Amino acid sequence: MLWAALLLESHPGATPTHDDEQLRGLATWALQWSPRVAITEEAVVIEVEASLRLFGGRTRLRERIRIEGAELGLAIAAWAPTSLAALAFARAGHEDGLSRPLEVALDAMPLEVLSAVGAHHHTLARIGCKTLGDVRRLPRGGVSRRFGKELLGALDQAYGIKREVHRWETIPETFSARLELMSRVDLAPALAFSSRRLLAQMCGWLAARHAGVNAFTLHWLHDSMRSKEAGPGGALTVRTGEFTRNLEHLWRLLNENLNKTTLLAAVGEISLTADHVEPLEERSASLLPDTVRQGQSLREVLERIAARIGPENVLRPVMTEDHRIEWAQVWKPAEEKQPRQTSAIETPQPTWMLPSPLRLAVKKERPQYQGTLQMLIGPHRVESGWWDRMGEPGAETTKHVERDYYVALSEHAGPLWIFLERRGDDLAWYLHGIFA
Amino acid sequence: MHVSLPLWPEPPPPASPHPSQAAVEQPEDEAAPLRLPRHVEAAVWRGSELGSPVTEVVSTGWAALDAELPGGGWPCRSVSEVLQPQPTLCEWRLLAPALRAIVARGQTVVVVGPPKIPHLPGLRHSGLEDHHFVLVQAETPSRRLWTTETLVKANACGALLAWLPQARPEELRRLQVCAAACEGPVILFRPEAAQFEPSAAPLRLQATFGLDWQLRVHILKRKGPVHEGEIHLPSIPGGLEAVMTPRLRHPSRLIASRERERADALGSASTREPSRRHTHA
Repeated sequence: MLWAALLLESHPGATPTHDDEQLRGLATWALQWSPRVAITEEAVVIEVEASLRLFGGRTRLRERIRIEGAELGLAIAAWAPTSLAALAFARAGHEDGLSRPLEVALDAMPLEVLSAVGAHHHTLARIGCKTLGDVRRLPRGGVSRRFGKELLGALDQAYGIKREVHRWETIPETFSARLELMSRVDLAPALAFSSRRLLAQMCGWLAARHAGVNAFTLHWLHDSMRSKEAGPGGALTVRTGEFTRNLEHLWRLLNENLNKTTLLAAVGEISLTADHVEPLEERSASLLPDTVRQGQSLREVLERIAARIGPENVLRPVMTEDHRIEWAQVWKPAEEKQPRQTSAIETPQPTWMLPSPLRLAVKKERPQYQGTLQMLIGPHRVESGWWDRMGEPGAETTKHVERDYYVALSEHAGPLWIFLERRGDDLAWYLHGIFA
Repeated sequence: MHVSLPLWPEPPPPASPHPSQAAVEQPEDEAAPLRLPRHVEAAVWRGSELGSPVTEVVSTGWAALDAELPGGGWPCRSVSEVLQPQPTLCEWRLLAPALRAIVARGQTVVVVGPPKIPHLPGLRHSGLEDHHFVLVQAETPSRRLWTTETLVKANACGALLAWLPQARPEELRRLQVCAAACEGPVILFRPEAAQFEPSAAPLRLQATFGLDWQLRVHILKRKGPVHEGEIHLPSIPGGLEAVMTPRLRHPSRLIASRERERADALGSASTREPSRRHTHA
């Protein structure tokens, strides 16, 4: 058996109780490591013997719990073969209870580290007991009569002689966590730091449920010294394209969204809910080391960029079956699903397009663009489209075109794609694309 | 009898059966005292060689250009600059062969802040695909820079093309440092005037087009000796090759004959400057 006892950073003046919200949050988070999680007094204890292989060994698991737990305010994670011993080591500030035999390590501990023993520490001190080892060497019968059987029971459990009994924590069906802020927060970006703790909790919960989230909401409550218009609080929903439980990605997205939010009043409390959760397919670990791709996936990066500069600026081209150049491709936000590929136009096409055709000056019947243009190839006639209408009903115009396209060469701007507009009375030349 | 492989090239055996072979080997014999073990030789950089620290590259598609670039292609994990006299001149013609290879690998090309709209029906002729193409429109220089840096740091795209005409030297240095983590080439397009500004990019090219379906590339800065002259690369954009006639292969002649006609019509020697553009020698 391998037990870890997780102790939260203690706040001066706070009295830890069994129903402490933070402790429950930590227990929920810890369920991702093992289903055997219990709350014992002010600590969360987990039994991870069966999970060691999954997380790549004892050292790696210890490192992960220490680093990832720090996000939730984990002060110390102590390891021992029994849960009470782990708790005792955690209280004494010893992380490693495994390097020495359990009896030797526990014997040297002071009385206060075990609650059942600590309750009698005045009496025990007066009969010359300073460490757990001293208590253990007292005659058992006498101790049992004098201090009750709880003390002996706790000692036996800590030393692994007697079985321990736990009430296992269960995974909540829905996730919602609350955090009271240490101080009032006036600016939305400042909420990012405190919300990271809640996000870490949520990611732990998601990992325990083998699920991912694609929408979560950060709620905030204004504190009592607010103006009347501000209302009781606000909320911000963040959506992702794919179900994920990647803490860094979710936090970055939340950050970008918070940067665009203004708070109406100072905030005293925040809470986080997971809105849309679905089971996530796990990637199986490979026996052979595969090429580890550093960095984030493109989808995640584009999502983040879209969150900052707007989804209408992060685009993917979609080809359409249209002979008119303007409508041969449309740009769609990159997050949207892409349709199946359509067949390509096989005729020569420019590689750059002007947003709208540019009317060219004409000198001696020759179009001019940075000098006289030399006609090379053409005409390529593109016309009709009278069925295609745009604009408001009543004042609509058709996208009808009658154009002769030419490839023309400019000495300064390269090969150009220009057209002769054949609608209307006077002929006019336009620049439409560049072969670059 | 030699059975085991020698660690380094040994001088040839003195008694050679064929005198002619010995004569062929004579120059090698002279150089023999200078020969170093192979692994040492690989680590030594000679002044006449192109610098070798560039290890990961994407071939440009032209052997003539590859031969001049350190490592033999567009460097990965580094920023490269392409300077042009005006924007949208020959970006795709210069990069399409390299991008074709990247898209063929299934990686995405991301384009940040181009001055005009990329036209995919034309780019498909050079091997780009709509499924592997993302356009990020960013108007302000700071947004372009932020977007570029985010993408470089994320190392998520196969190739990144960014138009950063107003980037300052310290911003470029920052990008170059970030690019060390990016596995694809990062190409920045900048105006020709930027050649007089310092830049942290290890590779800077000056590119323009020639009238006879050519690209003219001059390497301003590279790891290695100074590049002199211009490289002329044949390139026909946007599927025009299919409709090309022999007469159209030399548009400069058409322009020259037009100029002659014009001069004849005016009855005087042309006062117009020769059509050839002044380029950096």
